[in-house]
Amino acid sequence: MLPASDLTARQNPDGGWPYTRGVSWTEPTAYAVLALLDAGASEPVRRGLAWLRAAQRPDGGWPPQLAVDQSTWVTALVALIPPGHLGDSAHSRALEWTIGSTGEESRFVFRLRQWMLGALPLAPQEPPGWPWLPGNSAWVGPTSIALLALEKEFRRSARTDLQPRLDQGRRFLLQRMCAGGGWNHGSSKALGYPTSPYPETTGLALAALRGVRSPQVDLSVAFAQRELTGCRSADAWNWLRLGLLAHNRLPGPVPSLNLPCRTVPDLALDQIVQATIEGRDAILS
Amino acid sequence: MPSSPKVGQAFSLPARVQRVQPRNFTRRDFLTGSAAIFALSGCAHPPAATPAPVSIVRASAYDQSLYDTVRRLLAEHRLNVRGRTVLLKPNLVEFEPESFINTHPLLVHAVYEGFRALGAAAIRIGEGPGHRRNTLDLADAAGYFRIVPRFEDVFVDLNLDAVTRVRPARPVSRIEKLYLPNTALGADLLVSLPKMKTHHWVGATLSMKNLFGVVPGGVYGWPKNALHWAGITESIIDLHAAFPRQFALVDGIVGMQGNGPIQGTPKHAGLLVAGRDVRAVDATCCRLMGIDPLKVAYLQPTGPADASLLAADIPQIAEKVSSTATPFALIPEFQWIRLS
Repeated sequence: MLPASDLTARQNPDGGWPYTRGVSWTEPTAYAVLALLDAGASEPVRRGLAWLRAAQRPDGGWPPQLAVDQSTWVTALVALIPPGHLGDSAHSRALEWTIGSTGEESRFVFRLRQWMLGALPLAPQEPPGWPWLPGNSAWVGPTSIALLALEKEFRRSARTDLQPRLDQGRRFLLQRMCAGGGWNHGSSKALGYPTSPYPETTGLALAALRGVRSPQVDLSVAFAQRELTGCRSADAWNWLRLGLLAHNRLPGPVPSLNLPCRTVPDLALDQIVQATIEGRDAILS
Repeated sequence: MPSSPKVGQAFSLPARVQRVQPRNFTRRDFLTGSAAIFALSGCAHPPAATPAPVSIVRASAYDQSLYDTVRRLLAEHRLNVRGRTVLLKPNLVEFEPESFINTHPLLVHAVYEGFRALGAAAIRIGEGPGHRRNTLDLADAAGYFRIVPRFEDVFVDLNLDAVTRVRPARPVSRIEKLYLPNTALGADLLVSLPKMKTHHWVGATLSMKNLFGVVPGGVYGWPKNALHWAGITESIIDLHAAFPRQFALVDGIVGMQGNGPIQGTPKHAGLLVAGRDVRAVDATCCRLMGIDPLKVAYLQPTGPADASLLAADIPQIAEKVSSTATPFALIPEFQWIRLS
C-alpha cells in the first residue's frame, strides 16, 4: 500500500485533487477523501470536503470539474462519502439527484417518441441504468457507481424505496454482461458483433453486484480472477480486487504486479483496496 | 445501413447537413473564453474551393527510415510552425503493443521530431481515448513510453485536461455547447495522426473522426456518448470546424479493415497520407481504401464551393491514388460505400 502522504502531496491549494496535475476534479477528490477518511488524515480531508461542498450545484448534483455547468455521474461518487462527513443536506440532495438520474433510453417521453416513429417498442427491453450525464444512455461505469452509493445508503438507513432502483440497476448490469463473463463499458455487442470485456469495468460491476449470486456472476468472477495476473493498469488491478473482494473470491495472497499508480484515483483506490483486505470497507461502510 | 450506438436513433445524414453553408468559422466564433487569436500563416484551413495538395508517400514498415520520410513529407507542405505550439493527436484505442489498432508510436515520434526540426516552440502529444479510462497505462502498453523519450512530460491526457466551454457558431449536430480541452484549444496547430481504419458506424475513421479523441471523457464519460446522441456524423463535422488550424498525417502503413475500429484485421497498405486540408486527406484515404468518399456521410460536400475537395483530382504530391490504392475489406453493412 502506498502511504497516505502520496495522496496528500497531490492535493491542490484549493483543497481538491487533480487526476494527475492541474485543476481539481470531483472524481479524484471524492476518491481521495474516501481513502484519507480511512487513513485518518483529518486536515486534507477537511479541505477536500470543503472543496466538494462548495462545488455542489443548486440541483444537488456535482459537476465533473468547476468549469462545467452540469451535474453528472460523479454525484453518486460523492454520495459514497458518509453524511456525517459530507453534511446531511449535501448528502441527501446528492442521493436524490442520483435516484432521479436514468439512461435517456429508459425515459417514457423518449420511448413514446421512438415508438411513434416505429423505432422502438414502447415497453423498455431492459431495466434502467445510469448515464454518465443526463440525456445520454446508461453505461456500466456510472450504473455501478450509482449502485454502490444506493447500496451504502440502504445499509445505513434501510430506506425501502431504494430497493426497486437497486434491483433494476443490478438487472441492467447482468443483462449487459459479455457472453463469456465480464463487462465492456456498455454493450455486450456492437453492431451484432460480441464485444470484449475490460478488467476495470468487470471489477467495478462485480463490486456493484455484491451479494448477487448467479451463474453469470460466477462466470464474471472467473474472468476477473484470470485477468488479475495479466493486469496492465493500476485502475484495473484495483477494481478487479475490489470486485473479487465483494464476492469473497479474491485469491490470496495475490502477488503484487508493481503497476505504477499514475493518477490520484489509482493511489486512492489502492489504499481503499488495502483497507478492504484488512476488513475496513472504505467504500460501503 | 447499420444503426448507431445511440439507442433507437437511425443512422442517417439529416437533411440539415446538406444545407450547411461553406465554413468560414473562426476561433472567435467558437470560444466563449478569452483564448488568444492570431493567424498562423500556412496552417489555417485553405479556401474551400482550392484544395491543398495531399501527399501519398510509400512507407513499408515502422522503422528508422520513417524519421527521414516524415521530415521530407512535412517540408513538402511548407508548414510555418516556427515559434508556435503544436499538438499531435494520435489515435490510442486499446492496450495493444504497436499493433494495427493504435497509431504507431514510432510514427508519432517521427512527427514529433519533424516538427521540432521545423522550429516549433512547444510540441505536445495529446489523446483522450473513447473506451479505456487509463490513458497513460494504455499508452505504456502501446509502446509510447518506450519509444517517445520523456513521454509523460510531453503527453496530455485530453480526457482529463482543464476545459473551456465553446459554442459552435453554426452547429450541424445537436451540440449547443461543448467542453473542449484547453491544450487543444490553445494549440496553434492541431495535427491529427489517425490510423487508417474502417469503422462500423461511419464507414471509415480517419483524420476528422480522430477528433472525437479531443472531447474530454472526464466530462462526457467513456464512451463519449453525448456525441452519439448529438449525431456521430454531425459531431465529426462540428469538431472539425471547431479547430480551424489543422494538419493531418494518416498512419496507413498497417491499417485496419473489416469490423473496425477495434475488432477488425490488419491491412498492410504501406502508406502515409498527409495534408493541410484534412477533408481532402480523408477523401484521398477513402479512395486508397476502395471507399467512395461521397458515400461517407461526414465527407459529403457542404456546398458547391467545396465540392472540388472531394473530386478525384485532388492535387497530389508523390504517389497517385491509382498506383497505391489497396481495397480494405468492409463489413456487409458497409459494402454499399465501396468505390465502384
